[in-house]
Amino acid sequence: MSAAPNDLAGELLAQSLVAWRVAGSVERASDGALVIGGSRKDIRIDRAPPHDMFRWTVTVDGRTRGAISLLAVLRQVREALDPGYTANRVRIAVAPLVPSS
Amino acid sequence: MSAGVIPVSVLTGFLGSGKTTMLRHLLRQPEFSRTAVIINEFGAVGLDHELVAASEDSLIELQTGCLCCKIRNDLAQTLQDLLRRRDERRCAPFDRIVIETSGLADPAPILQTLMTDANIAGRLVLGGVVTTVDAVNGAGTLEHEEISQKQVAVADRIVLTKLDLAGAAKPALLNRLEELNVGAPVLIADHGRIDSPLVFNSDLYDPRTKSTDVNAWLAQATGHAHSRHDADVKAYAIVRREPIRAVALTLFLEALAEHCGTDILRLKGIVNILESPDRPAVIHGVQHVFHAPAWLDRWPSDDRSSRIVCITRRVPQRWVEVLLEAIGEEVADVPVGC
Repeated sequence: MSAAPNDLAGELLAQSLVAWRVAGSVERASDGALVIGGSRKDIRIDRAPPHDMFRWTVTVDGRTRGAISLLAVLRQVREALDPGYTANRVRIAVAPLVPSS
Repeated sequence: MSAGVIPVSVLTGFLGSGKTTMLRHLLRQPEFSRTAVIINEFGAVGLDHELVAASEDSLIELQTGCLCCKIRNDLAQTLQDLLRRRDERRCAPFDRIVIETSGLADPAPILQTLMTDANIAGRLVLGGVVTTVDAVNGAGTLEHEEISQKQVAVADRIVLTKLDLAGAAKPALLNRLEELNVGAPVLIADHGRIDSPLVFNSDLYDPRTKSTDVNAWLAQATGHAHSRHDADVKAYAIVRREPIRAVALTLFLEALAEHCGTDILRLKGIVNILESPDRPAVIHGVQHVFHAPAWLDRWPSDDRSSRIVCITRRVPQRWVEVLLEAIGEEVADVPVGC
């Protein structure tokens, strides 16, 4: 998979804060990382190094974890910011992905 | 629709909005003669079933509570029992089921049951949601009763009742209905009488009708999609010109369900899947439950853009747009078919 552009990732994060109704704002650090400020946690999202098994890293209050996709980033960020959040792990089958004939 | 698959229509609407009156009229029509009716009443003493003239052995009253919150399992069990009785010829033959909800019911769980219950899947298909709205009191009800907003938001057809008392539909009410659900045609019942083929002819999954229906709600929803900033419930359309990878659609729907499932009141869409350019997917979801896509045999018009109509409660349109865009970017170099 390719990574979404940082601008798109930043906008997705900013819009996600709105959708989740949690406080915070998204800014870009001088080194290109996305930083969520004004929230109850210090959160920083970086691109993972090339050839890393993860695409992103998410650092919450100094603790860094890998994230394989933007959706994984969103999940980690929301878990950090939204104490009432319980991830809905139900998987909705949209199979078959393509018509059978 | 596959042979033997029975459409189940849901008739909902707030207390006193005229559901039973309309149903009573419909059941007198010849085309509704093979209809089984399930009535859910809220309260210790049910009356509605006394008012509906239907074959006794094809009318079932669910009286144990509100259909939406207490007896979803009862509904699934009731439907299974009804099918068994039909198979064993122990009831009048029917080829349609109508569920009349209580006026206080949230229709979403009912729709989810119809879409996902494994024991009835394959035999029954959601045939559309009809919501009655009282032309006299409807505006006030929509203002004060959140459940009535939801009943309107999930409708495939809205039926205005009691116009004889109101004189005419007030513009404020019509505007509010359009704000809540721009894609649903608004029909009028005269003392319960209504052109019956129009009411329950909204089967999104019926190959005989779905193209027409898809066209109808897409044209209206994408043509005038708008929102009211002071309203919690908003309808908008997400339009994408470029085909969408199948895996991107899957991830997109999962993300919607995971993060905003309870606030996705209804989502309907026609999607141009990269791997299936000639056969668009029709998607349909209620809150965190999404039906498996129905594949149209062909595009209903020359417009091959993906159009996803969302009726949500406080879910920003831009979040939905950028979520789909970002997921699409991430999966862009996944080989087709993965």
